[in-house]
Amino acid sequence: MSFAAPNVTFHERVDDALRDQILHTALDRATGRFQTLRVNALASLPDADAVRDRARMIRAHTLSSLDTYLERFASNVERAGGHIHFARDAAALNRIVSEIARKNNVKNVVKSKSMISEETKLNDALEAEGIRVVETDLGEYIAQLAHEHPSHIIVPVIHKTKEQIGELLHEKIGIPYYDDPAQMTAAAREKLRFEFLNADMGISGVNFGVAATGTICMVTNEGNGRLTTTAPRIHVALMGIERLVPTLDDLSVMLQVLARSATGQKITVYTNLITGARRAGEGDGPDELHIILLDNGRSRVLGTEVAEILYCIRCGACLNACPVYREIGGHAYGSVYQGPVGAVLTPALGGIAQWSDLPQASSLCGACREVCPVRIDIPRMLLVERDQATRAGKMPLWLRAGLHLYSLTVRHPALFGLATMFSRIGSRVVAAPTQGWIRWLPPPLNAWTRSRDFPAFAAKPFHTQFNKFVSQRGKNREG
Amino acid sequence: MKDDREQVLAQIRASLKTAYLPAARATIPPRTLVGQGNRAVMIENFRRELDPLGGKSYLARSDAEAIEIVLNLLKEVGGKELLMWDESELPVRGLGDALRHSGYTRLDVQLSQAPDARHARLLELERAAAGITGALAGLADTGSLALVSSPMRPRLASLLPPTHIALLQTSRLFETMASFFAAYPEVTRDASNLVFITGPSRSADIELTLTRGVHGPKELHVILLD
Repeated sequence: MSFAAPNVTFHERVDDALRDQILHTALDRATGRFQTLRVNALASLPDADAVRDRARMIRAHTLSSLDTYLERFASNVERAGGHIHFARDAAALNRIVSEIARKNNVKNVVKSKSMISEETKLNDALEAEGIRVVETDLGEYIAQLAHEHPSHIIVPVIHKTKEQIGELLHEKIGIPYYDDPAQMTAAAREKLRFEFLNADMGISGVNFGVAATGTICMVTNEGNGRLTTTAPRIHVALMGIERLVPTLDDLSVMLQVLARSATGQKITVYTNLITGARRAGEGDGPDELHIILLDNGRSRVLGTEVAEILYCIRCGACLNACPVYREIGGHAYGSVYQGPVGAVLTPALGGIAQWSDLPQASSLCGACREVCPVRIDIPRMLLVERDQATRAGKMPLWLRAGLHLYSLTVRHPALFGLATMFSRIGSRVVAAPTQGWIRWLPPPLNAWTRSRDFPAFAAKPFHTQFNKFVSQRGKNREG
Repeated sequence: MKDDREQVLAQIRASLKTAYLPAARATIPPRTLVGQGNRAVMIENFRRELDPLGGKSYLARSDAEAIEIVLNLLKEVGGKELLMWDESELPVRGLGDALRHSGYTRLDVQLSQAPDARHARLLELERAAAGITGALAGLADTGSLALVSSPMRPRLASLLPPTHIALLQTSRLFETMASFFAAYPEVTRDASNLVFITGPSRSADIELTLTRGVHGPKELHVILLD
């Protein structure tokens, strides 16, 4: 339910994205800069490669004993006075949050960024109960005002230019039109300050849970994460079941690579560690802490060939590095999780039958694997899922027919020779007026020529040239 | 919900029999950490990291110097109401008296469990012109402060006002977060909140343009007590 595929096809969404000039302006301004920042930040670590290796090892080890670490985490949270809930799927999570809200007569909710809540469409569920939900991360707030979903894990409105945001704020919250981000931010701060102080419940995401101490860690730059978890009476924290590390020392390793990979900072402004609700006598902080652990397919994915995608720490570096993401942006993926990580994770959680197109959204160039702070082999898993898609009968009929024809031809040398001769002559005739490039092919081959030209065949096939070369060399040796 | 817990754990155990987890090892090998290094170098590193982020650092050789810096900063801020840690938690003797003497008052952060009273108190606290806190530690490699909550050390003092003034003893500087955790292994058991603060609140959500002072303080002043 939470991973329902959009009703517009992937190719249509991509076509729309490619035609959107404003989207390209916005993406170009952002993704390129991120890459430079990331490289510089990692260079500031004395031994970045060793830290990344250790971070990868920590994630791999944790998942290999995930049941043990989850139980340890849960009992330590409870010992510190927090409540633990397990949710098998999106509906279960939304139900748990609604119940907590109802029991406490909650009317207003402030949220700091949570991908889990996007996954379960929690806002819709709460609003259906008559509860007002306000996003407080600046980017998420803008997305909410525009009735859109985030298009980037770290920068939710990376797809918008400052001019678009200025007009949106002018229209929706009644401030003058600004194109200066500082003025827009100041106006949003004013509006959101009251929301924080007036909220009954704060809902946050979780970057890491620490099993040994029952601590949750969340990082933000704006401070909305701290206000969400300090001002309201009730704090509800949402996390995926895979999001654990064993100890505080392991947490410090993950934090060394998270911000550097995400925004190019050495560390985020606020790295907030919460262990239980406020203690007796404490003046501020929530009276109740609820931590909800969402499965929603993760425990099943753990048993598959793509379990490695669960190592992901949601830094967004693979999005910025991906040549496909940089052209089409996040919304074209049609999923909560975008870019290379989304192309693997979405079919893994939501089912390959519905999401067979996403693993194709990659040139397999390997840039994602290169930048991943925990070195996830995303290209390997894209191939695994392409294979799954094929086996699930998701290959287009014309492609299957074409491959059958091809395999028939290559198994019969005479047929192969005949076919290449016709292709050679035919392609050279067609391409003669256009310097050896074919601009148009009939369906289904137009899938190629729609976005690029096709080269005409060489005048002499390779095997003819090769035979000639070999016999020539033989003659030279004799002489 | 009990069912969900058992079901999720059972599925994890079943999956672990077939899981392909590259780089997984039975244990994570221990590592050697750099401890507390040379203090002068750490002070220099801390300031070099913090200043470019828009935080301001000051070195005070005595309590009197520290008090003078605080009073000067407050004069620039304007406003007489403060959110503060308890005087006993601040590492500068005589600061409370000096503030009272100059007409500053401390707002009481005790939030009620009753919704309306809680909201009303929060709106009052919003008036505070500045927050004054100590710090359990500083991290030299990132220019971060480590603040730990307690009944005497409210979280809002470093969060709600537009200006945050932090007093940090240089003897509490550590090279890295890892060396800090090694020195305080029980820190998360002893307190419900530990926050590492690194510079003033900021956002780059609009076209990656850096803006300071979003939901947290716009100004961060760290007075290093040597």
